[in-house]
Amino acid sequence: MTSAPHAAAAPPPSPALRAFEAQWLARDATQSGDSTQSDPLTVLRQKAMQRVMRLGLPTARDETWRYTNLRHLTSHGFVDAPKGAPGVLQPTASLSLVGVDALAATVLMINGHPVLPDGTDAFFNGIEITSLRDLSRTDPALVAAHLEPLSDADQSRWALINTALFQDGLYLKVTGKVKTPLVILHVSTAEGANQIAHPRVIIEAVPGSSATIIEHHVEQGTHRPLCNSATHVAAGRDSKLEHYRVFATSAGAEHIDSLTLRLGGNSLCKQFTIALGGGLVRTSLEADLCQPGAYLDAYSLLVGHEDRHVDCVNIATHSARETRSRQTARAIASGTSRVVFNSKVVVNAGAAQADSQQSCRGLLLSPSAEIDTRPQLEIHADEVKCSHGATTGRLDPDMLFYMLSRGLDRETAQSLLVYAFLADVLTGMSVPSARSAIEDALIAQLPDSQILNKFR
Amino acid sequence: MLKITDLSARVAGKEILKGVNLEVRAGEIHAIMGPNGSGKSTLAQVLAGRTDYEVTGGSVTFEGQDLLALAAEERARAGLFLGFQYPVEIPGVNNVYLLKAALNAKRKAAGQPEVDAYEFLALIKQKMKLMHMSESFLSRGVNEGFSGGEKKRNEVLQMLVLEPKLAILDETDSGLDIDALKIVSMGVNSLRDPNRAVVLVTHYQRLLSYIVPDHVHVLSGGRILKSGDRSLALELERRGYDWVQQETRVA
Repeated sequence: MTSAPHAAAAPPPSPALRAFEAQWLARDATQSGDSTQSDPLTVLRQKAMQRVMRLGLPTARDETWRYTNLRHLTSHGFVDAPKGAPGVLQPTASLSLVGVDALAATVLMINGHPVLPDGTDAFFNGIEITSLRDLSRTDPALVAAHLEPLSDADQSRWALINTALFQDGLYLKVTGKVKTPLVILHVSTAEGANQIAHPRVIIEAVPGSSATIIEHHVEQGTHRPLCNSATHVAAGRDSKLEHYRVFATSAGAEHIDSLTLRLGGNSLCKQFTIALGGGLVRTSLEADLCQPGAYLDAYSLLVGHEDRHVDCVNIATHSARETRSRQTARAIASGTSRVVFNSKVVVNAGAAQADSQQSCRGLLLSPSAEIDTRPQLEIHADEVKCSHGATTGRLDPDMLFYMLSRGLDRETAQSLLVYAFLADVLTGMSVPSARSAIEDALIAQLPDSQILNKFR
Repeated sequence: MLKITDLSARVAGKEILKGVNLEVRAGEIHAIMGPNGSGKSTLAQVLAGRTDYEVTGGSVTFEGQDLLALAAEERARAGLFLGFQYPVEIPGVNNVYLLKAALNAKRKAAGQPEVDAYEFLALIKQKMKLMHMSESFLSRGVNEGFSGGEKKRNEVLQMLVLEPKLAILDETDSGLDIDALKIVSMGVNSLRDPNRAVVLVTHYQRLLSYIVPDHVHVLSGGRILKSGDRSLALELERRGYDWVQQETRVA
C-alpha cells in the first residue's frame, strides 16, 4: 500500500502526507482485526488514502492553490487533536456569534467528535442526527455512498485526507420541513502544536424537506489544530436547504474546508460562506446540479484584515436541463491581508437552458492589501445563459466626499460604505437571527463599530 | 459670513479659478451665474472641501475662521452645506441613517446631545411633506434609483434638516420641471433668515424668479467679471454672457 503506483510526475510525499499515511496504516491494522476489511466504506477510505498518496498534497503549482501556499503546513507531520475539550467551554465573543442560546438547536462538535445527548443518535424537529462513527458500523454502505465519488481535482485533495482519516462526524437526515435553524458548533482545540482535526458532516435532505443548517467554526484554548473539515450536502428532489459555514476564528487559526453539494430535481440550496477570521481560511465549494430544475444560490462574504489570508474556490457544474446557479461574492481586504476568490461554472452537454450568474466585487481598504478574483466559464452546451462579472476597487471617492460633506467623520463614512458593500450578501440571508449574529460579528471587525451599531 | 479673497485653484494640473473675490453677509442670497466651464462648480466644490481641487492661492474665511484649513466634515459641522449638482447614489446606506448621522455629527460638534429618535423621525417627516416626498424615501438607499428631480429635492431636504448657516446650491434647479422647481424654491426660501446666507450657482434666470437674490455675479474664465443686483440676471437672460466678457476685455 505504501508503494501504491505513483504517477510518473508525482512529487515525493511531503512529511505531512507521510505522517497521514502512517496514521492510516496504523488505523487500518486495528480495523482489520474486526474483519470489516471488505465493507464498502473501508474500501472507499482505503482508496481515498491511496489516491492522495498518488497525487500528493496540493502545492502552489496546482491550479486552485496558486495563491495559497501550504508549505509551512506540509513540512511536518500531524497528530490527531484530542476528542474532548480540555476543561469547560468558555463562552467567548466568537462563540456567541451564532449564539448557543439565541437559537434553539445546537449540536456541539469538538475537533470533529459530536457531543450528542446519549452518545448515539438523537432526533430533532424533523432532523435525525447520528454519529458517523456509529453509522459507519451499522450502515457503512450509506456512509460510503455519501463520500463518493472521490475526486482527483486539486481542490478536493484535503477532502480525500478527511475521507481517509476522519474518526467521527455527523450525519444529519432532514426528514421534515424544519423551521428552527440547526447550528453545528465546531470547536477546534489542541493540546500542543501540530495537531489536526478532520470534522466530517453529511447532510441529507429527503425529497420535499426543508431546513436551515449553520456550521459555525470557532476555537478554544491556546493551541489550535489545523482544521481540515469536509461537508457533503445531498439535497433531494424539491427540497430546500439553507446552509451556512461561518469561520470566525482568530489570527493563529488555520482552516481548510471542503464542501460538496449534490442537488436533486427542483431542489434549492442557498449557501453562505462567511469568512470573518482565521490566519488562513481556505474554502472550496463544488456543486453538482445533476437533476433538472436544481438551483444553487451561493453567497460568499470574505473579509480579510490584518495579515490574514482567505482563499475561496467555488465550482458549480450544471449537468441537467434548466439548472440555475448564482454566485454572489463580496470580498474586503484591509491591512496586509489577501483575499482570493475563484469561481467557475461548468455547463456540461445536455444541460440545456442552464442559467448561471457570477458576480464578484472586491473592495480594497488599504494599499498593502490584495484581492484576486477569477470568474471562469466552461460551456459545452447550447442554449445557455451565463453571465459573469468581477470588479475590484477602492471606496468610491464621490460617495465618500458626499458623506463627509454632510459632516460624517471619515471613519463612520468609510464604515457605512463598507457595510453597504456587503449588503447584497446580508440581505440574502433568510434567517433573521443568523443574519443579525453575522452582522454583529462583521461589524465588530469594522472600524467605528459602535457608531455603526446605532444605525442598524 | 463668507469672504473669498483672490482664490485660485486647479484640478488635474489645470488652473480653473484665477483669483475669485466674493463676500457674502448673513441674511443675503447671492446668485453666481456664468457659462459652462467657467469655474462655478469648482468654486462650490473647493468651498465644500473637496481635496481633488488644489487651492493655489488666496484665502477664504467663514465666520472669521480659515475655511481652507478645515476638512470637509469640519466645514459641514461649522454650518456649511453643499447641494450637489450630481448627487451620488449610495446603495445600501439608508437615507435616514445618513441624515441622522449628519445631524448628530453637527450636534456633537456644537456640544449638544444626540437627537431623540422619535423627534428625528417627526422632523424628517415634516420636512419631507414640505418637499412633497413619499414615505418610501425613508427605507431607500441614499439617492438610490431616484430620478433627477428626486435627487435635487433630497438635497434640499437634507439642507432643511441640517439648517446650515451657509448653503451653496450647485445647479439645484437643473433638470427640474416647473412644479419641482417651485417646491425646491419654497424649500430654499423657508430657510431664509437674517442669520443665514445662500449662494445659488445656476445657469438660468428661471430659478431667480422664485428665489430672489440680493446680489448676482457673473463668473467666467475663473474670475468674477461683474456683480450687480437682480436686474443683472435679467439682462444676462436677454443678452447672454458674451457682452459681459467683451465689456471686461474692453475695460
